[in-house]
Amino acid sequence: MKTLFIKFMVLLSLALSLNTQTANAHGEKALEPFIRMRTIQWYDVQWSTQKFAVNEEIIVSGKFHVAEDWPVSVPKPDAAFLNISTPGPVLIRTERYLNGKPYTNSVALQPGGDYSFKIVLKGRLPGRYHIHPFFNLKDAGQVMGPGVWLEIAGNADDFRNEVKTINGEVIDMETYGLSNGIFWHIFWGALAAGWLLWWVRRPLFIARYRMLQAGLEDELVTKQDKLIGKVILIGVPLLVLGANWMTINQYPKAIPLQASLDQILPLSAQVNAGVVEVDTLKAEYRIPERAMTFLVKINNKSDKPIQIGEFATANVRFLNKAVSMPISDNTDTMIAPEGLSVDNPAPIESGEERTMTIIAKDALWESEKLDGLIRDSDSRIGGLLVFYDSSIGERFISSITAPVIPKFN
Amino acid sequence: MATTSEQLPSLLTNDSKVPWYLEDLPKYLKGFGILTVIYISLRLYQGEFAVSTGLDSSEPAFETYWMRLFNIELVVITLFVTGMWGYLWVSRDRNLDKLAPREEIRRYFTLTMWISIYTFAVYWAGSYFAEQDNSWHQVAIRDTPFTANHIIEFYFNFPLYVILGGSAWLYARTRLPLYAKGISLPLTLAVFGPFMILVSVGFNEWGHTFWFREEFFAAPIHWGFVIGVWFALGVGGILLQGVTRLIELLDELEDNP
Amino acid sequence: MSANLKKQFFQPYTGEKARISRAYDYLILVLALFLFIGSFHLHFALTVGDWDFWIDWKDRQWWPLVTPLMGITFPAAVQMVMWEKFRLPLGATLCVAALSIGTWIARIFAYHYWNFFPINMVLPSTMLPSALVLDVILMLSNSLTVTAILGGSAFALLFYPSNWPIIGMFHEPVQYANGQLTVADLFGFQYIRTGMPEYLRIIERGTLRTYGQYATPLSAFCSALLCTLMYTLWWYIGKWFATVRYLTKI
Repeated sequence: MKTLFIKFMVLLSLALSLNTQTANAHGEKALEPFIRMRTIQWYDVQWSTQKFAVNEEIIVSGKFHVAEDWPVSVPKPDAAFLNISTPGPVLIRTERYLNGKPYTNSVALQPGGDYSFKIVLKGRLPGRYHIHPFFNLKDAGQVMGPGVWLEIAGNADDFRNEVKTINGEVIDMETYGLSNGIFWHIFWGALAAGWLLWWVRRPLFIARYRMLQAGLEDELVTKQDKLIGKVILIGVPLLVLGANWMTINQYPKAIPLQASLDQILPLSAQVNAGVVEVDTLKAEYRIPERAMTFLVKINNKSDKPIQIGEFATANVRFLNKAVSMPISDNTDTMIAPEGLSVDNPAPIESGEERTMTIIAKDALWESEKLDGLIRDSDSRIGGLLVFYDSSIGERFISSITAPVIPKFN
Repeated sequence: MATTSEQLPSLLTNDSKVPWYLEDLPKYLKGFGILTVIYISLRLYQGEFAVSTGLDSSEPAFETYWMRLFNIELVVITLFVTGMWGYLWVSRDRNLDKLAPREEIRRYFTLTMWISIYTFAVYWAGSYFAEQDNSWHQVAIRDTPFTANHIIEFYFNFPLYVILGGSAWLYARTRLPLYAKGISLPLTLAVFGPFMILVSVGFNEWGHTFWFREEFFAAPIHWGFVIGVWFALGVGGILLQGVTRLIELLDELEDNP
Repeated sequence: MSANLKKQFFQPYTGEKARISRAYDYLILVLALFLFIGSFHLHFALTVGDWDFWIDWKDRQWWPLVTPLMGITFPAAVQMVMWEKFRLPLGATLCVAALSIGTWIARIFAYHYWNFFPINMVLPSTMLPSALVLDVILMLSNSLTVTAILGGSAFALLFYPSNWPIIGMFHEPVQYANGQLTVADLFGFQYIRTGMPEYLRIIERGTLRTYGQYATPLSAFCSALLCTLMYTLWWYIGKWFATVRYLTKI
């Protein structure tokens, strides 16, 4: 049998010409572009480190804006869960914060709201994994944040996850309740096996069918069977109730599962804060050039001249190389370093209102499957337009949105 | 005593420890063995390559490791169904009215073995790989109907048990007088009902694609599978058909020690 | 009169016929074992699976209501055939034991070895005590009505106390993130599941809790009533599927 296994695996492997490459994404591109671009708009996501060991902790933190122009086909984010995509619990989540508040449940998000988050993770299984923060949106899907490769060193056997209960008992989550659970399953399994064997040791189907047809019912279920039946009828419930009573006494402070929805208010406005106002007049996507052209009206209400530095959507950043700024991004967010251009590069002065054309152009529209937008029933685009003041000191972010007109030639 | 070549076949029969009514037992056990090897190998394959290459359907590695496996499965399944059903039909018994009770008993045993092989395939499809689907979709973000577990569960395990169930149905129809004269309702239910599970894949994928991307196992889009599997209870009727006929046949046999 | 005659002339099989009959038993037992692991497990996993998979789904309101309700189905149908036709009072225990085997194999080899979840997070529930009692009530009463009412009720009522010794300790409170969680909830938070966000859990939805704090007994009694009806329904479903008809065309 063992050789058969080996042969089969070898055949299968040959057939598939094995040459392992590792996946570097989690299928996020399959989600409709309008959901990726117009629900959770991630920015400033950072990972504290990408190499660590079993039992060591790392932090992923960042911000997101919940788009005002929430797609009509997606239920409002009344229940959303900030999650981590991992190939199984290769690391565990020990802490999670939204706007500085620790929380463990799902949360209701407000469209137009701004939030900051922080998640603390602890290495559990050594290996190299691609990990993203993401939001599970109820009935909509998973909206991914920027991912990274994490390398976890060390030995899986060293992993400890000790937790102190309110009663002061320190428990190891990895093994807690396991042997007790196995004991009860084996206990009831043995009784059930005994009952089954009690019957199947006798001639069964043909023999019993004939006897029943012949009216020999009394011989099929004997007095001894009935006695055992009575013992089970009384004994099993007594055992169940006795064990239940003992457990109740052993854990008198047991509480029901907790299932509240955490309520956390958004931060004061970070995006669309009213300092730089942007109205998107028109958006066109030129398919041959893979270029999105926005016609926008910008009103600079700040006291400084500003320039457009970036357009970011669905973990793709189109940068304006004319506006130099530090790229502090250690995630594998897709960056088009020269992807953004404007028709009038002069800074927008304080108090100035200007209508201008912005072009975000790169093959990433296609490779990230964002150009699928023009074939969607909801072909509106959304994203963050980032402005910097001329001295690269202050940043202003606007969440923009517009229907997209495709240009095929 | 010298053994002549003329005596050899009868000697072999006499030496065999398998009684006549269990003549197909070795084939039956081999069937279990082969299926076990296939299913466990597929599970080992998942263990080896699913995390490294099966998480994103847009990756080239996914195409190599998973879509190619999918295509191989389709070829294997097509060849198997053609060969097995073709063989069962071509080699059918055309003289069923002259069937001796002893041979009919033997064939009832073989039919039971066929159904048993079918239920073994139902085990892997309905129990192990089905629940494993929930487990895998805690790991992968569902971005294709062809996930690393669906490729095996929906497009290999499901068709395979359908083929094996169909084989049992064809075996009965082509080799046993009662099943040839009439179409056994319980056998048909037990084979065609679970076949509808394969059809339910369409409903499931539609649901997951359009409005449900998470892994909530008790979701209504999964209930098509549930209704299909209820029909497996038709085995109760098959048992009764088998028992009553075997009693008739045994009564026709002489008593042997 | 004719029954007595039948009795008088009844000859049990001996020799080869007895061996044939016994060989058939073994074939059917192997067939039935895999049939019920495969079919009952699929039915169970896709109707109430989530409550069974995860330690943080086993609440006191829905779990004791829906699990016995979906769990009594196959046992009732199989009991009908096994008892009515063979006087074998093992249909429920056979089905539930098969289910337990299927769930344990999946929890170990799928959840744990493939996807790294600790087994204590995915401990299955047990319905074996309930099934044993259901089988003996049918045997002792030889009555569909009595088994449906007493057996169905016992099946549901015994479910939660049978499982509390397994899961009770997972309901110990833990102070976490400025709030209170059970150890079970903490599993759900710490051991990451991408496809099972917390909001999917169906935990104490509705207002059953307004009857003091006694959600569990109310759910169990509600389940007892429903199991009585479900048992009867599935007895007849089992009977219908156990048809011996041959058709002229399909």
